[in-house]
Amino acid sequence: MIKHLAAASLLLTTACLAAGPVRAADPGITDTEILIGDVEPLTGPPALLGVAASIGHKIAIAEANAAGGINGRKIKYVLEDDGYVTARTIQGVKKVIDVDKVFAMLGISGSGQSIAVMPVLEKSGIPTVIDVAPVKHLWEPPRKNVFVIGQSYEEGIVHLVNFLADKNPSKKWGLITQDDDYGITVRDGFDSVVKTKKLNVVYSGNYKKGQQDFSSDMLQLKDSGAEVFLAGGIIAENIAIMKEIEKLGIKPVTGIFWPGRIEPVLKLMGPAGDGIYAVDYVESFAGAAGKAFLEKAKPLVSEAEFKGINRYTITGYAAAKVLIAAIERCGKQPTWACTISELEKTKNVETGVMAPISFGPGVRFSNQKLQIMQADTATLSFKPVD
Amino acid sequence: MRTGDYKQTYGELVALIDSPPVWLWSAVLLLALIAAPYLLNSYALSLLMIILITVTGALGLNILTGYTGLISLGHVGFLVTGAYAYAVLVSKYQMPPLVGFLGAGVVPALASLIVGAPSLRLKGLYLAITTLAFSCIINTVILEMRWLTNGARGIQIQRPEIFGISFDSDAAFTYLCLAIAALTLLATLNIRRSRVGRAFVAIRDNDTAARVMGINLHAYKLFAFVTSAFITGIAGALYGIYLSFVSVEGFPFLLSIEALAILIVGGLGSALGAVLGTILIVLLPEATRLIFSLFSAQMDAAFTTGAQELKSMLYGLVIILFLRFQPRGLVGAWHDIKRAWVHWPLRY
Repeated sequence: MIKHLAAASLLLTTACLAAGPVRAADPGITDTEILIGDVEPLTGPPALLGVAASIGHKIAIAEANAAGGINGRKIKYVLEDDGYVTARTIQGVKKVIDVDKVFAMLGISGSGQSIAVMPVLEKSGIPTVIDVAPVKHLWEPPRKNVFVIGQSYEEGIVHLVNFLADKNPSKKWGLITQDDDYGITVRDGFDSVVKTKKLNVVYSGNYKKGQQDFSSDMLQLKDSGAEVFLAGGIIAENIAIMKEIEKLGIKPVTGIFWPGRIEPVLKLMGPAGDGIYAVDYVESFAGAAGKAFLEKAKPLVSEAEFKGINRYTITGYAAAKVLIAAIERCGKQPTWACTISELEKTKNVETGVMAPISFGPGVRFSNQKLQIMQADTATLSFKPVD
Repeated sequence: MRTGDYKQTYGELVALIDSPPVWLWSAVLLLALIAAPYLLNSYALSLLMIILITVTGALGLNILTGYTGLISLGHVGFLVTGAYAYAVLVSKYQMPPLVGFLGAGVVPALASLIVGAPSLRLKGLYLAITTLAFSCIINTVILEMRWLTNGARGIQIQRPEIFGISFDSDAAFTYLCLAIAALTLLATLNIRRSRVGRAFVAIRDNDTAARVMGINLHAYKLFAFVTSAFITGIAGALYGIYLSFVSVEGFPFLLSIEALAILIVGGLGSALGAVLGTILIVLLPEATRLIFSLFSAQMDAAFTTGAQELKSMLYGLVIILFLRFQPRGLVGAWHDIKRAWVHWPLRY
């Protein structure tokens, strides 16, 4: 019995010692450092987005640190991998807030993951700027401490379909979407334009997430005689779809959405991807602003990271710039309350990589201006369309 | 001289707790768990919540796979059904949370009758594939029933309030998870020592012999499915509340594999094994990260940014090591340690 009592006492003592200390108000800030946290999918297929976004954050932080940091304090970036699994995103966010004790949050992972962590962020009160997956749940209703940079998926699709409809009047339309939240959003946006523009939709397909073989779907598209086609896949699906279209020898005017508008996709599509249209709210790397961004980024990141740059790097960069500027405006003693207040006052902030960013009282969504781009496989880039 | 732990009566053999030290340890553990929400930070508390929810789910799977020997690769299907049943009843139809929890158990239990029926004729890998197919079908059904489930858009869930007690804070929700996990543990331990539990084990060990002894295979196999699905569904509801948002994407197939890994590592057919296996599998990455961080900041960073890949490798490595060196799992190791502790300095 004595052995058991001794062991029990030892266990309880260890448990008490291992318990975390009580959190002070507004953590993540010392005399020399400010900690900024982020949780992204850094492994698995969605890493293509998460890694790129984190590189954008790193570029903005390195740029600020090279200029002396935030009012003399260097910024330290705390990055956590969630593997695109919602429960791990929640754990990751709790870890960076409570264990690493960051001052503010950037990112965060995919749309479902961001929605799931919203109660955690709201309850903690930590200043947060979301930049990876802008979906309405994140800013409707507006949360005091959570700001979202980007444009809604619905608006993006409406803009793209309107453009394609105006450019190709009286043509037959085809559409394929994924069987998830993203796919529903694409379809809803498309359907809203179908009604207003009275589009003649001859093919409407739906595929299971993760589908690799689109031969029968594209054969149906061919048989329907569709002349304008909205490919509602993300990355691997759009590549497979365009390859199938190429194999069938048809060439509909094709539009894709920004989650798949990344340069490696064009490389994998090959000639099949030439001329496809895309919609986005960030600058193209083929344009002057995009080139200037790449020039700026080159000395600030490693060679491997530079190769991983894509459109998500730009959204990450813009979000980090806005957050850093807001903390900076709070002066020598920034607090969460001041940072949130300054984020709210963000008005026409130029990041050089997208239209100026603004928030306001009760406005937590930056509502970025959209633009249409066209793929050029010769240069593996998307060029802005006038 | 008494040199071992002998059971001299049938009552001793089926007792839930068989000695004063086990009573003491159980009380210490319970006190530690009750004190934990006041001592742990939010991150550690979230790990505790995940452990308690996973324990509930693993105990559910243990009834089917551990006790009855029916392998299920599709238990995530029951988990997601339970989560959706709770979300639909509570968030969509504004039912009381207790009704939600009841639904979270009953709906998967009813669904288990569909997947359980083939189990009357199938065994081993064939049954495993059938359950896997069930989890795929259930996902498709949820996505297609948009009028009820919101399809792929998912349903948001608030933390519950039961009998005027709000479980909104992490500490309160941890207590709810603890209460359900403790009740589930008691229930499964009681099932195991009952006539039903012995019938389950008889089916697992040799179903032909069990039938010869008068055990109705059809009834008991279905009962194992229903009980297992009921408990897993409750775990699903808790997991959905923890996530605050129920969508098919939040319940990846990997959860089924993790649940099986927990049982294997813990020790198949043992409730204590399910608990120990859960603790090991959930805390393994954290422990590894802690060890890595002692060596260098770069190793710590590598673990943080490549956590999920490393986690998968660790799970694989641990399962291989257990199967090779300790096939009885953590429970087997625990029995060895206990024996060594009791007999020390003698070997036997």
